[in-house]
Amino acid sequence: MANTNNAGAEALRRLKEVDPPSLLAPNPTLSETARAASQYLFSSIRPFSQKCPLDQLLVDGYDAEQIWHQIDLQTQPLLSTLRRRVNQFVKNPDEIAQLKVPSSVAKKVEAKNHEEWEQESDDFDEELDEDDDDEDDFEGVEKEEKNGGSDGEEEDDDDDDDEEGSEDEDEDEEGEKEKGKGKDSGIEDKFLKINELNEYLEKEENNYENAEEADDGDEDSEEDDELEKAGEFEMDEDDEDDDEEEDEDDEEEEEGMENARYDDFFVGKKEKSSKRKDQLVEESEDSGDEDDMESNKQVCVCVCVYVCVCMIVKIFILKIKFSYPVFLYSFMQKKRTASTHEKQLEKIQSEIELMEKANVEPKTWSMQGEVTAANRPVDSLLAVNLDFEHNVRPTPVITEEFTASIEEMIQKRIIEGLFNDVQRAPRLPSKAPREVKELDDNKSKKGLAEMYEQEYVQKIDPTSAPLSSKDKLKNEASMLFKRLCLKLDALSHFSFAPKPVIEDMSFQTNVPALAMEEIAPVAVSDAAMLAPEEVFDGKGDVKEEAELTQAERKRRRANKKRKFKADAVKRSEKKARSEKKEDNAIPGQVNG
Amino acid sequence: MQSKEASSSMEVDTVPSEAKVLPPKPKFKPLKPHEMASGQVQFRKVSVPPHRYTPLKKIWMEIYTPIYEQMKIDIRMNLKGRKVELKTRPDTPDISNLQKCADFVHAFMLGFDVIDAIAILRLDELYVESFEIKDVKTLRGDHLSRAIGRLSGKGGKTKFTIENATKTRIVIADTKIHILGSFANIKVARDSLCYLIMGSPAGKVYSKLRAITSRMAERF
Repeated sequence: MANTNNAGAEALRRLKEVDPPSLLAPNPTLSETARAASQYLFSSIRPFSQKCPLDQLLVDGYDAEQIWHQIDLQTQPLLSTLRRRVNQFVKNPDEIAQLKVPSSVAKKVEAKNHEEWEQESDDFDEELDEDDDDEDDFEGVEKEEKNGGSDGEEEDDDDDDDEEGSEDEDEDEEGEKEKGKGKDSGIEDKFLKINELNEYLEKEENNYENAEEADDGDEDSEEDDELEKAGEFEMDEDDEDDDEEEDEDDEEEEEGMENARYDDFFVGKKEKSSKRKDQLVEESEDSGDEDDMESNKQVCVCVCVYVCVCMIVKIFILKIKFSYPVFLYSFMQKKRTASTHEKQLEKIQSEIELMEKANVEPKTWSMQGEVTAANRPVDSLLAVNLDFEHNVRPTPVITEEFTASIEEMIQKRIIEGLFNDVQRAPRLPSKAPREVKELDDNKSKKGLAEMYEQEYVQKIDPTSAPLSSKDKLKNEASMLFKRLCLKLDALSHFSFAPKPVIEDMSFQTNVPALAMEEIAPVAVSDAAMLAPEEVFDGKGDVKEEAELTQAERKRRRANKKRKFKADAVKRSEKKARSEKKEDNAIPGQVNG
Repeated sequence: MQSKEASSSMEVDTVPSEAKVLPPKPKFKPLKPHEMASGQVQFRKVSVPPHRYTPLKKIWMEIYTPIYEQMKIDIRMNLKGRKVELKTRPDTPDISNLQKCADFVHAFMLGFDVIDAIAILRLDELYVESFEIKDVKTLRGDHLSRAIGRLSGKGGKTKFTIENATKTRIVIADTKIHILGSFANIKVARDSLCYLIMGSPAGKVYSKLRAITSRMAERF
């Protein structure tokens, strides 16, 4: 027993000395150490837990979950016992005085209880503030210190054990709840001073050596467990540790903390809390068994410190979100902690209530339909951002680029000649346009009688209607145009259209008959305008000299002769006449 | 005495059997115009306004010839009384000739041309309608002058337009307006002139005229 106890204590101590970062990685030796420590702690608490069926913590071949459940088995009834005891002490403060506790230690305990309590509550606060579970902690050092501080509340070996356990716990808790930010500054506040923590830890370590072994052993084992778990960074082990501690604490604290309030501990009533601690201490002293008292007291103290923490850890481990005030309130009320499901239900219920309330109430004026000025508070429109449909297009801002773009477009259009002129829509073809009678504003040349006569004649005999002036002009114009077209066709078209047959038109062209019928185009054809015989203005059968026969030659000569003779005669006659005139003339001249 | 006897049968005076032969139904020749007025000669007298005196003197033969030759009405000018007198002859073919001639002369006196007025002689149903501007609308001074100007138009073209469109002849004599034509045509011309008097612009009157005359032309 002593050996095992010693081994357990040793293990616990070793765990305490472990470098926190090394706990980050799974370490089989550390786990072994932790298991040994847990066993030690278990066995040290064993005497106080009568209802527990287990005599010792079985760690060989069991996994973390199972070890944890064993611890749980022991600590649950223990915690309820402790609670009862604390309640008793609360009701009968005199009993505390009967508890045998060394005064110095009691004082220390008082002071340190208060400190530790505050520190723990700070821890607890900070832990509560953060919800992350999976961050590795590098606050192991601080936690250790804290734990050491909290452990220091216990006078006995339990202190150390608890200290280490709380260290482990805190380490575990840290491991669970990633406080990952710079926690030095975060943790320290008016309650927690790291330096004071360190001093206290030193003191408690010294106390630890004086503590009773039984308690230490138990607690060591527990703490070993915790350390082991810390080393392995298993949530389950942490749970075991936490629950272990928590159970212990719960048992004790149940009794003492039913009527505790936040104010008792934090707000200017430090004496009260310390008093309470005194009471607890006294009560523990009053109890018959000093060890028991002490342990009870220590456990009470632990309870004060660890219940919150353990609860938190448990909750965190189970990854339940909770609100600090709710938790604290429920904890302070000494209610049994609601399960996660219940908590969820509560939350949903509250939400539902809110929503129902909102639905039942009359809506705000802005959510109602048409609201006149009478139905809403004065000047309330100013507060509300209303969205109007503006049917007015916002006026365009005339900038340089705007005008430049417009001008560019205009220039481009002018260059292209692409204008958006409005085209007149083509009218559908209505009935044939009636002949509009033009009003003649000249003095009519016909007399009235003639007009009526014409009208009468038209009535009687429509066909003999004389051409109106309009028709005459029309006819003249159409004639001119047809003439022109004919000429143009002859000049340009390859397909010749024969002249139109117009009766009163004397249209004579020097176009030979052949051309009229020829298929080839006039421009291409090389047929002369007139045929040779048309050009020829001779007579009879024309023959060449060679072709002439004798008789014909003779005839020709004879004709020629005859002609010549006739001409000669004429010439001579002429001459004679002209001579006679001269003769006549001369005597005239002679005379005159 | 015969009545005393209650005789069932009436006493009948027997007429002598020889029946008087009724005279045959008289067959009268139609009355000559001359005889219609109980053989009295009928006169018409048309006074000549001073402004028509000279034109009458110039145109006299053109007036005289158709009246005397074709109408067979005696016509003479009473210089002293400044009247044209018309008298039926025994061989005047128609009783209405005298009136026609009188109308013809009267039309000339109003201001119509002979060639226009001759139509009265030739056609039966030509009439002359006269009215004054003040019958249509009371106008004074400048308004009156402007109305007269509107009626005539520039160079008389409005008047001619109406004449040509409605087959009438119009004479605007200061404030008096005379229209010569058939009854329907007179109406159309009169309406157009009234619009002009009342102030319509010529264009509007033209469009109305156009519509009316085209409709009238289509009818036939």
